[in-house]
Amino acid sequence: MGLLDPTTTAGYDSQEIHALAPRVDELNGKRIGLYDNGKMAAEPVLEVLHGKLETQYPDSTFATHAKEVKQDVQDPEKLAAVTKWAREEELDVCIGAIGDCGSCTKFLTWGMQAVEEAGVPTVGLVDEGFELDWQTNAIERGWPLRYNTDAVRSEVRDHDLIAERLTPETLDAIEDELTRPLTDKEQGIAPRDR
Amino acid sequence: MIAKEHWRDNMSDPNKIGKEVIELNERLYREGATDGLPVVPPTDELVAEMLRGTDLPGDHVLGHLGNREDPLTVERLAANGVMAGCRPIHMPVLVAGGKALVDPASNSMSFSVSTTGWAYLWMINGPIRDDIDIQSKSGAFGPGFRANRTIGRALGLAYRNTTRIYPGEKDMATLGNPFKYSLLAGENEEQSPWEPYHVSEEDYDAEESTITLAGPSCYISWTPYRNEPEYILEGMIDHMDPYMTGSGGHKTVWQLLCPYSAEQLGNAGLSKQNVKEFVRDNSYVDASKYARGKYQDREVERNDPRDIPSRQLPQISDTESLKVLTVGGAGTVNATVGPSIGGPVTKRIELPENWDDLVEEYTVTPDWIKSSQFFE
Repeated sequence: MGLLDPTTTAGYDSQEIHALAPRVDELNGKRIGLYDNGKMAAEPVLEVLHGKLETQYPDSTFATHAKEVKQDVQDPEKLAAVTKWAREEELDVCIGAIGDCGSCTKFLTWGMQAVEEAGVPTVGLVDEGFELDWQTNAIERGWPLRYNTDAVRSEVRDHDLIAERLTPETLDAIEDELTRPLTDKEQGIAPRDR
Repeated sequence: MIAKEHWRDNMSDPNKIGKEVIELNERLYREGATDGLPVVPPTDELVAEMLRGTDLPGDHVLGHLGNREDPLTVERLAANGVMAGCRPIHMPVLVAGGKALVDPASNSMSFSVSTTGWAYLWMINGPIRDDIDIQSKSGAFGPGFRANRTIGRALGLAYRNTTRIYPGEKDMATLGNPFKYSLLAGENEEQSPWEPYHVSEEDYDAEESTITLAGPSCYISWTPYRNEPEYILEGMIDHMDPYMTGSGGHKTVWQLLCPYSAEQLGNAGLSKQNVKEFVRDNSYVDASKYARGKYQDREVERNDPRDIPSRQLPQISDTESLKVLTVGGAGTVNATVGPSIGGPVTKRIELPENWDDLVEEYTVTPDWIKSSQFFE
């Protein structure tokens, strides 16, 4: 008796992995993109982060891109507009917020992928409870996108509470994701291990 | 009670078959292909049998779903239909439901993975309800009716298995939702004072059959203080909790009225549009809650809350965002379902050429209730 596979036949094994954009040496003096995926907490998180980054990296400049609704990146034209923004703003790096629910985490990976396609290294800010969600969404799209789970907490929009989480150590960790050299796997040249 | 003789006559070794079915179920559960309930193993033969219910070839791609835009084929849909307990006569509804899922306007990609845990609401209209015994009267939302229970489950499994979303992995529903695969009913067109949904809202002919998909989070049942028009209208408004807002025709609230309540409104001379307008004009939420951003109204939220006067804001912005259908049987219990961020999208149910033969072959007429024989 043969069973028909009711699931998608193309598994992770067949997924082509794209190389991430090369990282930068440091953030000071760089043009830093702040990507707001349209989720409620993204705007205050990026506002607070912007202030702290300006203090920490006085020679850096900033550009922001805000989505009105998180799912609009399903429209290929609007997703392409993210890549175009990263190119036109001549970003050196980009920080995306926020992954704190199912669909916003999914669509933040889509947005960060679009920025990586412009050759700009990215890091997504994700609530720790959505780490696996981030990983699986990113890998299914073929991009081993980097992320940080210390900077944000789901649905927190109070500026003071946000600032409490953005400690010097957390800012260092975010910088590390944008400066730490890529591994062979992240460059898409290592054999798959799953 | 099924006689033991029946089993002896029709199954070579029931114990062996039962054991094999359990083993196959455990394998499918381990591989993530089920919803946690037992399934019918999707054997080659059963899937081929399911495909008798459509004129489309098994490799026909209905559309694409998920991160990788994986194809939803007719065969995969049939396999998930087998697992859910569907029969070939359910296949035309599955195909139309599959078309609804892959339609970007359904927003299924968002509401299938959201922390809110939206359900798939499926409403069936037209003659197909009688052909395949889709219940639209007493107990329409179950449990008890095979088509109502299996079709929604099959479409949920098909989405899950095509996109490979798993709870806590990409399906991030914080609490889950017991209605997720369970909200399917026919509209009780025969006892409604109004045109059915697919005619009044979607411009189909009454003799066409359709399936409509929405994505609500809550199901609230309620009974009017008296089954009289003013109390029914009041009940519709009172049971839209402040979270149930409707706007733009895409964020919707569904008022599912039982025939007795719908009849009262119809007898009072109220059209479906009249009912919608009354609810639109008389349902409000506290503006201060908008100021807190609870409803994600960014324009208001960005203002200083102290500048927001203490006043009310419309809960339903337009009649397109409120849906009114007649569902269920005797009694005066209604349901308010929403808010929905899915669709709504409606698809025509296409029948295969051999439809009449299939209906005759696969129809199972429930023969459950014996007590009334006393009164014959």
